[in-house]
Amino acid sequence: MRFKSLFKNQTFFLFVVILLLSIAAGLINPRFFTLQNFLSILKQSSVLGILSMSMALLLISGSIDLSIGAMMGLGAVISCTMVMSGFNIVLAILAGFFTPVVGSLVNGVIVSWNKSVPPLIITLGMSFVYSGLSLVVSGGQFLSMRGKFYFLGGGEVGGIPVPVIVLVVIVTAVHVLLKYTKYGRRVVAMGGNEELAFLSGIETRRYEVFNFLISGCLVGLASMVLVSRLGSVVAGVGSGYELRALAAAIIGGVTFEGGRGTVFGTLLGVLLLGVISNGMNILNVSSYYQDVVSGLIIVVAVIVSSIGAWSR
Amino acid sequence: MVDDADPNNREEPLLRTEGIVKTFPGVEALSDVSFSLYPGEVHSVVGENGAGKSTFIKILSGALQPDSGTIYSDAQEFSHLDPHKSQDLGIQVIYQENILVPSMSVAENIFVGHEKTGSFGLINYNRTIQEAKELIDSLGINLDPKTKVEQLGVVDKQFVKVLKAIALESRVIIMDEPVAALPPEDTEKILTLVRDLKRKGISVIYISHKLEDVLGISDRITVLKDGELVNVHDLSEEEVGEDLISREMVGRPVEKFYKREKSEIGDVLFRVEELRRFKSSPTVDLEVREGEILGIAGLANAGRTELVRTIFGAENYEKGKFEYKGKRVKIFSPKDAISTGIGLIPEDRRVSGLASGLSVSENITIADLDKLGNFFLDLDQEKEFVQKHVDQLEIKTPHLEQEVRFLSGGNQQKVVLARWLFANVDLLIFDEPTRGIDVNTKAEIYKIMHGLAKEGKAIIMVSSEMPELISMSDRVLVMKEDSVVAELTGEDITEEEIVSHAV
Repeated sequence: MRFKSLFKNQTFFLFVVILLLSIAAGLINPRFFTLQNFLSILKQSSVLGILSMSMALLLISGSIDLSIGAMMGLGAVISCTMVMSGFNIVLAILAGFFTPVVGSLVNGVIVSWNKSVPPLIITLGMSFVYSGLSLVVSGGQFLSMRGKFYFLGGGEVGGIPVPVIVLVVIVTAVHVLLKYTKYGRRVVAMGGNEELAFLSGIETRRYEVFNFLISGCLVGLASMVLVSRLGSVVAGVGSGYELRALAAAIIGGVTFEGGRGTVFGTLLGVLLLGVISNGMNILNVSSYYQDVVSGLIIVVAVIVSSIGAWSR
Repeated sequence: MVDDADPNNREEPLLRTEGIVKTFPGVEALSDVSFSLYPGEVHSVVGENGAGKSTFIKILSGALQPDSGTIYSDAQEFSHLDPHKSQDLGIQVIYQENILVPSMSVAENIFVGHEKTGSFGLINYNRTIQEAKELIDSLGINLDPKTKVEQLGVVDKQFVKVLKAIALESRVIIMDEPVAALPPEDTEKILTLVRDLKRKGISVIYISHKLEDVLGISDRITVLKDGELVNVHDLSEEEVGEDLISREMVGRPVEKFYKREKSEIGDVLFRVEELRRFKSSPTVDLEVREGEILGIAGLANAGRTELVRTIFGAENYEKGKFEYKGKRVKIFSPKDAISTGIGLIPEDRRVSGLASGLSVSENITIADLDKLGNFFLDLDQEKEFVQKHVDQLEIKTPHLEQEVRFLSGGNQQKVVLARWLFANVDLLIFDEPTRGIDVNTKAEIYKIMHGLAKEGKAIIMVSSEMPELISMSDRVLVMKEDSVVAELTGEDITEEEIVSHAV
């Protein structure tokens, strides 16, 4: 990358914003600048981070799934319910993981089969189905893993939290997939112009379904990290996550039109949200105000970075 | 400027510019351009891509400010205009892009922004439709004011844009390439419209690559080259031909007909037998040989694009057999066609030829990624391949990672072409190979096509441009209502022959 275009680069811009916010938070409360706190920001961002990778993958391919939050919640609820009903823990985890995989596959089949209704609408509808199913399965009860399955969300390897390691592995994997594989290149082209992709010999429907399947695996993983971190859940645990994942991806330079954006940009979007919420916690901002402030920062960040994109 | 030499003889110009200069970093887009427009005059501005036409229009519409120079209108002097000022002076630009609301009716679209209201400031629909109808009738066009714009064809949409401009009481209508995407029959409708506007006393600044049209409707023609004014021709005073104008545009003599030396024609490469798109449609048979350029002529709705898209596997069909190098092949998708060895360069680059937000590299290699690895891509090898094709076709791009939307139309077309060279296909289907491309690049594309034929590749070329069909084709099939009605070879490939079969 040429030096001149660095300043117009959205990812770079985002990095600067995160740096400035961190410095501001650190100046007010030095406790922000501790290794412990950085690891905790990363740890808190891990579930959203994995989920955002699924969102970015779909957006870049020209699609979207608004039910990933609900599916993640459903996976967690199913795992807990099974543990509480006395099922084997491995079985419970597998069931919880594969629930979003299957759900996502269903979404992908409907979306690719029906070309006249946009995926936004279809997956919005499906999100009600999945969150409704969570209520049905849980019966509205507070569910717990009974202290089992701690490692994925709460364990550490060499001082580094396991969910952080998982996040790093997933981000790298999705980056490699999009940038260095034939599959990824085709998915990006599909997002850039579906008709062109079709005329270039890409079986767009098959790729779309497969992309939803990959997305489902990421959601399943996020679901298991979540349930392991929290240890106990209620039916609505995943709600709102899809919109935060969408915000993170858009902040990171992924667009609704598809074909554009990077995995690392999305990760920075996730970190921005993480830094904001952690910073406000450390500065003792009331949690009621936190949503207002983070919402405003998202809007400002998106506007400013889109000005950068125009001025090219 | 010469055109004001005898001001007593003529009325005052409606709009006049003097010594307009506009520079962008590194380029002088316009240097010292003077221009005048009289009431009821059709004044065309011609020039190659990059000659400064768009910049000049933007200065008149107030979208850009000149560095120096003066604009005169209504006995007032302006150093620059802004969009508001420009509209107040009665200047309206009809852009290619859609500025209409698809879900609203023709009448509603015409009066958007200055709705016809009745009591309580509510919209009076009867008045809206009535006044729209009067406007439509005054131009002698056939258009129902109640029709939704989304149901209209391309030409009718252009009409609505012009009507909208007239409703704003425009005195100057600027039309920027209004026929670039239109088939010949529809072009005539637009030209008639321009003449009707003139009759109503509205002045038109007409921008087009099609010199034949320009000569047919203009009172005067201004020729720009590299931002400089080359000449202003007054058609009432001098006899001007296409060759003179194109020579002035390019700065050297240009042949209207590309002189192609025919290459050696070999065996049959590809054969289509009894292809039937629907149960009720006629069957089509065709064959194309190695080294041959097969032209397909016909009117816009003759089924030419549909035929080539079907051959390429992009459309469903009822029945049909395909033979490639003497062997039966199955083609049910573009994937099948590509692996057989067929490539398609579609009619509309922006819609189906390119992913405009992706890089030059990505656009070139997308149809044959298998060449770059089984699972992982070899990016170094990709760069090497792409650079080779970029050099070979002389694609002008600052670097290989440039997004293709920043390239000119001609270079974009070369990127699409490079895709199929990279995929190494033997049969190339061009659908309107030079639509919207300037004279120089056109000649380059012809040269490339000729070179491909010489290498023994087969080419099918759908075209609406007679000179192109006549000078490039070894053989021409004329299509009408989804069937091939005539096959012309050698001396028989003439405009008269083609037209007589096509209509």
